Amino acid sequence: MIPAMPAPLPAPTFDPGAAYPEVNDLHKALVAADWPAVQAVFANRDHGHRAMLVGMAGERSGTEPFLRRVYDHDPTDALAGALLGNSLIRTGWRIRSSYRAQHVSREQFDQFHDHLRRAEQVLIDVTARHPADSAAWTQRITIARGLELGQAEARRRYDRLAQHHPHHAPAQSSLLQKLCPKWSGDWDRAFAFARECGQAAPEGAPNAVVLAEAHLERWLDFDTDRERIAYVHSAPVIAEIMQAGLRSVLHPAYVDRDDWVWIRSVFALMFSLTGQWGPAASQFTVLGNLGTDYPWDYVDGAEGFTKYRNLAYAKGGRS
Amino acid sequence: MIQHLDVDGVPTLLAPTGGPMRAGLTFRVGTADETLGRAGITHLLEHLALAPLGLADYHVNGATAQAFTTFHTTGSETDIAAFLTAVCGHLRELPVARLDIEKDILRTEWSSRGAAAVDDIPLWRHGARDYGLTSYPEWGLNALTADDLRAWSARWFTRENAVLWIAGDRVPAGLRLPLPAGTRQAVPVASSALPRTPAYFVSGSRAVVLDSVVRRRTAAGVFAAVLERELYRSLRQDAGLSYTTTTGYDPRGDGYATLRALADALPEKQDAVLGGFIDVLAKMRVGRIEQADLDATIAKREDFLGIAEVDAARLPSYALNVLTGEPNLSIDEHRAELKAVDLADLHEVAGEVMASALLMVPGGLTADWAGFVAAPTHSADVVQGTTYASRGGNGGLRIGVDGVSLLRADSPLTVRYADCSAMLVWPDGARQLIGSDAIALHIEPTLFNLHPAALPVIDAQVPADRQIAMPARTPESIPQPQAAERQPGQSADRSWWEVPVMALSGVATLLVGGFNLLLTLAMFTTETEPGDEWLWGVVAVLWLLAVILALPIVLVWRRRRR
Repeated sequence: MIPAMPAPLPAPTFDPGAAYPEVNDLHKALVAADWPAVQAVFANRDHGHRAMLVGMAGERSGTEPFLRRVYDHDPTDALAGALLGNSLIRTGWRIRSSYRAQHVSREQFDQFHDHLRRAEQVLIDVTARHPADSAAWTQRITIARGLELGQAEARRRYDRLAQHHPHHAPAQSSLLQKLCPKWSGDWDRAFAFARECGQAAPEGAPNAVVLAEAHLERWLDFDTDRERIAYVHSAPVIAEIMQAGLRSVLHPAYVDRDDWVWIRSVFALMFSLTGQWGPAASQFTVLGNLGTDYPWDYVDGAEGFTKYRNLAYAKGGRS
Repeated sequence: MIQHLDVDGVPTLLAPTGGPMRAGLTFRVGTADETLGRAGITHLLEHLALAPLGLADYHVNGATAQAFTTFHTTGSETDIAAFLTAVCGHLRELPVARLDIEKDILRTEWSSRGAAAVDDIPLWRHGARDYGLTSYPEWGLNALTADDLRAWSARWFTRENAVLWIAGDRVPAGLRLPLPAGTRQAVPVASSALPRTPAYFVSGSRAVVLDSVVRRRTAAGVFAAVLERELYRSLRQDAGLSYTTTTGYDPRGDGYATLRALADALPEKQDAVLGGFIDVLAKMRVGRIEQADLDATIAKREDFLGIAEVDAARLPSYALNVLTGEPNLSIDEHRAELKAVDLADLHEVAGEVMASALLMVPGGLTADWAGFVAAPTHSADVVQGTTYASRGGNGGLRIGVDGVSLLRADSPLTVRYADCSAMLVWPDGARQLIGSDAIALHIEPTLFNLHPAALPVIDAQVPADRQIAMPARTPESIPQPQAAERQPGQSADRSWWEVPVMALSGVATLLVGGFNLLLTLAMFTTETEPGDEWLWGVVAVLWLLAVILALPIVLVWRRRRR
């Protein structure tokens, strides 16, 4: 007897517009240089959703001249400033490319830094006028990393944000990057901060994702596959990933809000790497074919997503 | 009320005080009137004028600032009259017998003073001239003669160029001010060494300091106090990054004032203090200034204007305005101006502060990311002339008809003779030319393939009164080219035994190694007979011996390469 072939799973997509339809409206408005339409996309959004959309807006290149015009026309417009800053940062980071520092040419670095400096000068003003603007502060943490302004300065920026928004996961995630050794930090401080993020947030909040990311970064930083495998198979790591999940995505009080695709993607990957296939499968079930560049770029993007999804469904069962 | 009187032709200000009588005689002269080659002359004069007084049993002192020199005292009416009359007498008839002793005292004073974080700022803003000279040592002391001092005194320490203030009920009886006649001297014009602002420079200090130049007005003084409150709140109270946060507001006498702000930092927090400082400035610049800070500052100043001693307390600054010809306000006018200051005025001051800002940042940091340009640390161009190659590494020294350039990768240093503030001259031939833009070009003749006639060319171009003789240096402190650059054949510090030791070691290694190589090959190619296994032990020992014998070659080789 020939077993019935299961229907093939849909191919993954990391396009933010697939998960958040308003992103398509935003991109359309930006390309059309239609400022009222851009404002309409942000109307009545809370700060978390607003910060997420600002981050996604920068994925479309070429919007900088339009945003510069809008911002210069009214420098008190926090949204225009945040979008312009983000556009400059993303363009800069595209120039730097995602290679490790030793593979980037001097000229690429100069242009990268120049873009970040221009973004910073816009965002200094935005945060000076609007000290509670989470989108602008989150970007300034990213800039502190790219311009290597120092650990204490990155932390100060986060603290300024946290005064107004104590549990802003994207900013925590950005600071975590800075605390990692690849950006002149150290693992002790990175993990201390990551644990603090999860514990300080209410149960069911997504912030424990920062701890899962810390383990992901630690895993990636090993030199050999042997070390990587040993790391994710060690009992304390497995246990801590589970605890992070139980505090957030596996908690009854957890609800998918802004950034849920990124949060579940991180847990889907980390549950998979630590061989906790049941919880991994449950994340993939909710995600369907949706994902985010981070963390999947660390495991060959769509290829890694498909591989771990297949394994999770095979070993953890489809819930 | 401040009364305007006249004592021997010197404008005199009198205000009542409930405390002991005190007085100050201020002249419109200071370090900014000097040149680098004669730096220290005003300070030396001030010391000479006080020197014969010896130990007074009442408080006397002198102070030399950038544009003013003051002699002040507190005591009885008789003491004050005696002090001021004596000071004026000494200024007119200098006690030159004490010249060398006072020079030594000044050198000690310079070397024992603690370097403050802000000492370098004038040099970066103004260069090696006028208001920048206060950053430099008193290099003129050595060469100053009694005649130099007499000429300086005759020009600046005159009754027209002085003002006397007295806190007390009357002018002390018997007070005479025997000063020569002269003219009132204008405040020096402030030069700038900053092609663009806002600018920054890197200092070895751990503090972040902002220096700015604003139009002198009541709102600017209020702004300084408001900025101090904001820095205290942001950097100390909220973030715990700084211990000291202060600001200062100092009228320059030319319609402008220097406005400074400082925040210190723990070593591991310097980047965050800089970031927080820049955010505070940005907050003020965009006009988010707290009304409560403005109200508190105005209330504090109004309190000061209401005290009984207010006129006596403002005598010293009032006197400076008389000297510079700037207006003096009555207490009521002060009150009215204070009351009129609003947030829009402060916002305007904030714009001026940022537009003229010079930021001093701790080592290892920059402020280019926040829109501050690096203050010049090298010259924009080089002179035409003869180039002498450096003996160590790249670059060279170019001597031309109009100046000297030190050629380095992409940061040349150029000092033109016409712009040379001073040249330090060492007996061993070393020279340091200091441009008016504060670029310092140091020449060590040992480091260049210099033609013997080259240095005399430079010496002939710099006027004698700009040449500063420096004390002889010990041979060890004169730099030499890198050892690697030595001419072949020079092997001063190589010992006679090195070559024989290397030869012996080589021969012995070859002999033992060669024999052992044969033995090893033989062992591999023939079956080891039972009982002959000990030969493997011999092979191992012999290889070890070969390595030990080869060791001297390696050690001597490394010694020679150093």
